[in-house]
Amino acid sequence: MIPRLVLLAALIAAIAATAQPAAPPSPEKQRMTALGIEHKTARALYDHFKKEANGGQALTWRTVPDWTGIWTREASPFFWDPDQASPTALPTAKLTPEHERLLREKLDKVAKGIEFDPLSNCEPAGMPRWLVEPFLKEFVVTPQEVWLINEMQNEVRRVYTDGRDHPSEADAYPLWEGDSIGFWDGDKLVVHTSQMRAGQYQRIQPFYTEQVETVEIWQRTDDATMVVHVWAFDPPALAEPWYTRQVYKRLSNDDASLRIRYWNCGENQNNVVEKTETGTSDFSNFTFTQKDDQ
Amino acid sequence: MKTILGLVLCSAVVFAAPAFAHHSAVMFDDQKEVTVKGTIKEFQYTNPHSWLLVDVKNDDGTVTTWGFEAEGPSTLTRAGIRKSDFTPGTEITITGNPMRDGRPAAAWVKATRGDGKEFNPRAGFAIK
Repeated sequence: MIPRLVLLAALIAAIAATAQPAAPPSPEKQRMTALGIEHKTARALYDHFKKEANGGQALTWRTVPDWTGIWTREASPFFWDPDQASPTALPTAKLTPEHERLLREKLDKVAKGIEFDPLSNCEPAGMPRWLVEPFLKEFVVTPQEVWLINEMQNEVRRVYTDGRDHPSEADAYPLWEGDSIGFWDGDKLVVHTSQMRAGQYQRIQPFYTEQVETVEIWQRTDDATMVVHVWAFDPPALAEPWYTRQVYKRLSNDDASLRIRYWNCGENQNNVVEKTETGTSDFSNFTFTQKDDQ
Repeated sequence: MKTILGLVLCSAVVFAAPAFAHHSAVMFDDQKEVTVKGTIKEFQYTNPHSWLLVDVKNDDGTVTTWGFEAEGPSTLTRAGIRKSDFTPGTEITITGNPMRDGRPAAAWVKATRGDGKEFNPRAGFAIK
């Protein structure tokens, strides 16, 4: 599927003004959302899964699952929830009134051509936005840790599966990728992430606060498919946990031409994008224009 | 020869608009397309975005260098576009969504090299 960024003002204006989620969630999605609501916090949901798995099973080098290859997200990167198939629909999250206001304010600016993404400052996407960034991903499993690698900005999430817990609350501080712990339940990796920085799920998606926490269940369901069930909890922003089903596809790479390289956001000065006085995005400099050449 | 071949309104391009992940595409007018014919000056095959620089001869004999922005090397690789496809001096006809402010740059939509081979950088998001 080809990701499509639709900036047509009329469409975005329609989002900001009137749109609502088009279709009711599937029974499966309702069940997963209810599970999140029942457990109230991300940690409680994670502990529930861990109890169901009798604490989980430690991996050995003999039992490490094969998650090799180069992967990419199946859905449009511009929607957090793959179920949001249309840019004329609002995101599927149930937001608090304050964060619904913030979202509509953002969409209204986009409709007016005012849009700036902090990624233009070479900031990482960070978690949970990490999950929906486009381009390439790699998943490296070891008995003690899982490394979830995003090509863009070289963002690596380290999920500790060696039994450790998060740092104490007194020692916690906001991190781009948060702090992730996990366990294995058969071939499923269950992850709890906390200590994330505030951000946005994507450009035309809601904001999240430093209180956001996630629970993920990763499972390779066939040779080319990785399914990740994700619950986001964020009481200041989300009126209820936001459950989504993310899918990554393994890319064919028969000629081995696809390789994840170091990503230097600042290596080409023609890509310097600045925030203008009106708050929108513009290139700050070109070296190839006639004016500059003179 | 008039080498700026056209600047047209094109509503059909809306759903093929660029997916620029590192920055908003708001500086480009995705309702318009510009097509120019020229020769490759340089292919900046880089992250976060690649730029294909094309020298275009104007009616008065002067030359304007146009820049066409696309995604970085991995996405272009998935689209079958290698750095070696556009060596300096190669003839090219290239189409993009132009800058709103009139600077000679565009979001690269498609290109045809002098030997007739066609390139679609946006095909790099297809899953295969």
